Amino acid sequence: MPAVQLFATCLGDLAFPDAVADAETLLGRAGFDVVFPGRQVCCGQPAFNSGHRAAARRVARSFARAFTRDAPIVTPSGSCATMASHYLPELLGVEPFEVWELSAFLAEAGYRPLPSNEGRRVAYHDSCHMLRELHVSEPPRRLLVASGAELVPFARPDLCCGFGGTFSVRQAEVSLAMADDKLDGARDAGTIVTADPGCLMHLRGRAERVGAPVQVVHLATALARGLRG
Amino acid sequence: MGELEQAAPRFREIARGKLANAHTQAALDSSTDRLRTHRIEAWAELADVEALRERAHRIRMEVIDDLDGHVARFTAALEARGGHVYFAKTAAEASRYVAEVCTRRGAKLAAKSKSMATEEIELNAALEAAGVRPVETDLGEYILQLAGEHPVHIVAPAIEKTAAEVAELLSQAGGEDVPAELEVLTAAARKQLREVFLTADVGITGANFGISSTGSICLVTNEGNGRLVSSLPKTHVAIMGMERLVPTTADLAVLLKVLARSSTGQKISVYTTVITGPRRAGEEDGPEELHVVILDNGRSNLLRGRYREMLACIRCGACLNVCPVYRKTGGAAYGPVYSGPMGAVLVPLLVGLEHAPSLPHASSLCGACTESCPVKIPLHELLLDLRRDLVEEGVASRFERLAFTLWSFAWSSTWGYRVSTRLARLGQPLAGKAGPGRAWASGRALPRLGRRYRDR
Repeated sequence: MPAVQLFATCLGDLAFPDAVADAETLLGRAGFDVVFPGRQVCCGQPAFNSGHRAAARRVARSFARAFTRDAPIVTPSGSCATMASHYLPELLGVEPFEVWELSAFLAEAGYRPLPSNEGRRVAYHDSCHMLRELHVSEPPRRLLVASGAELVPFARPDLCCGFGGTFSVRQAEVSLAMADDKLDGARDAGTIVTADPGCLMHLRGRAERVGAPVQVVHLATALARGLRG
Repeated sequence: MGELEQAAPRFREIARGKLANAHTQAALDSSTDRLRTHRIEAWAELADVEALRERAHRIRMEVIDDLDGHVARFTAALEARGGHVYFAKTAAEASRYVAEVCTRRGAKLAAKSKSMATEEIELNAALEAAGVRPVETDLGEYILQLAGEHPVHIVAPAIEKTAAEVAELLSQAGGEDVPAELEVLTAAARKQLREVFLTADVGITGANFGISSTGSICLVTNEGNGRLVSSLPKTHVAIMGMERLVPTTADLAVLLKVLARSSTGQKISVYTTVITGPRRAGEEDGPEELHVVILDNGRSNLLRGRYREMLACIRCGACLNVCPVYRKTGGAAYGPVYSGPMGAVLVPLLVGLEHAPSLPHASSLCGACTESCPVKIPLHELLLDLRRDLVEEGVASRFERLAFTLWSFAWSSTWGYRVSTRLARLGQPLAGKAGPGRAWASGRALPRLGRRYRDR
């Protein structure tokens, strides 16, 4: 079996371990031998996006030490995939790594998900990094449809959910208003699926706090275990 | 503090007020979405969008790479046509020059067409101090002048105003009741402004572009006020940012093609005026004197490194209309002149980061701005570079620098990661009590940290 290296990301490891386990399950079902390099920590993005390049470099080096260039690196995060593939090599002055966002990798491998979402209505939320830097917007949608889900498009799928890393605390009010718009836009569907732990933490945390009638689920979970009703 | 500078908490404070105003939120949503949709439709008609953007980008960078040369050629060409050119290093120099021209010509009334550069140099205040009454003749700007406010959008300055608010302002100005119906409102404004066009001693405009090879300036408007202001009064003064040059008339055509499409979704704006020098012998219209003030006011700061890309900006407003942050805050939060992503990049570069420290962070870095830019300015990446400079120039707070440094040492090894996240898990009940955790928890549930994936 071909091997893949699973990059859990810090947020996945700490806050969404189930979603990472679901990603591992999907990769296994797709016929890959999943390796979890134990020395991984974080890609350094929180510091990089805040302008702290020296701090970002310090943390990003752990990524370069943990992963090899012998097998693809797959991660259930569009944002961290962007950091690791687009920014990290230049930040560290190292050769690029082969980094894939999970759904893009599964689609490329021709994976057909189980029909576990028959009759479920879903609004797919594009994370900005995935949409505009990785240009991955169709694979997650195709996988959801293949799992039986009915996609209910957002009126403004182009709008950011308002997470934006430290933006979410520096400009908390604007960030929350952006989340509210996103949650409102998914009232019909009742479920938002996203492929990014950042958006997930932000939107789910907001939905929980205001009691919005919308569940927010990671794509890996939706595909591996199916959505609840 | 100068017109462009702003203190750190200002953005957030103004944003809070805008978020609390339902009228403003509705106006921002509908107006930005309308402009954005029109832009997308207009660009969809073109065959090779990427090639056109690339061409527009190259034309702009060609000028920026030899800016001194282009300014010199423009100056020589315009002077040969009898125009006056004044190069202003600072806002104060530019305002003083315009005020002096007005005084020398004995002017009492100045008719202005829309110009962000004149906002930038606070020209109206300088004119009033010199005894000249400036009147804005762009409909949106006229409304704002009556309200005593600044433009909130570089293309659509009054988009946050409702028809009822406009009716009240025009009623007061005209001394008669104007009902809040769009056609009646524009007719009332037209009547009030016609008098200004006919009696103004000086016409003041911006310049969307200048052509280096001919010394011409180009004005783009939809109301025709730019043409009236630049041809009826005896003196015409145009204020032009030093970077607004294009090499040739053919290059101008390319940029006009992208400008109107990007700002309003038009193929070309209603009035596109190219002016080459003052009135010549035998001509019936045009001013006796034409002055072009070329404005630096911090633009030279941008010539270093990657920031030079920002000088390519043609002020189309596309990035404002797609920005999810601008859509919530409106323009005022960014400052009284430039707003949205272009403002967040430009203003700190013009005035120095220490004078606009919150602007590089007034973005979720979603990249919609970069995607929309017709001249391919990597706006969100420039914001990232500015954030780096905030740290490296010591503008970022000591607390923030210390926090990231400590974090980075902890997370530079798995051992440090394990210990620090174990502590974070134990400290969860306190996470929402202070610092960033508190800001997070102000409106969101904190994520629950359980057993790590790696420990399963």
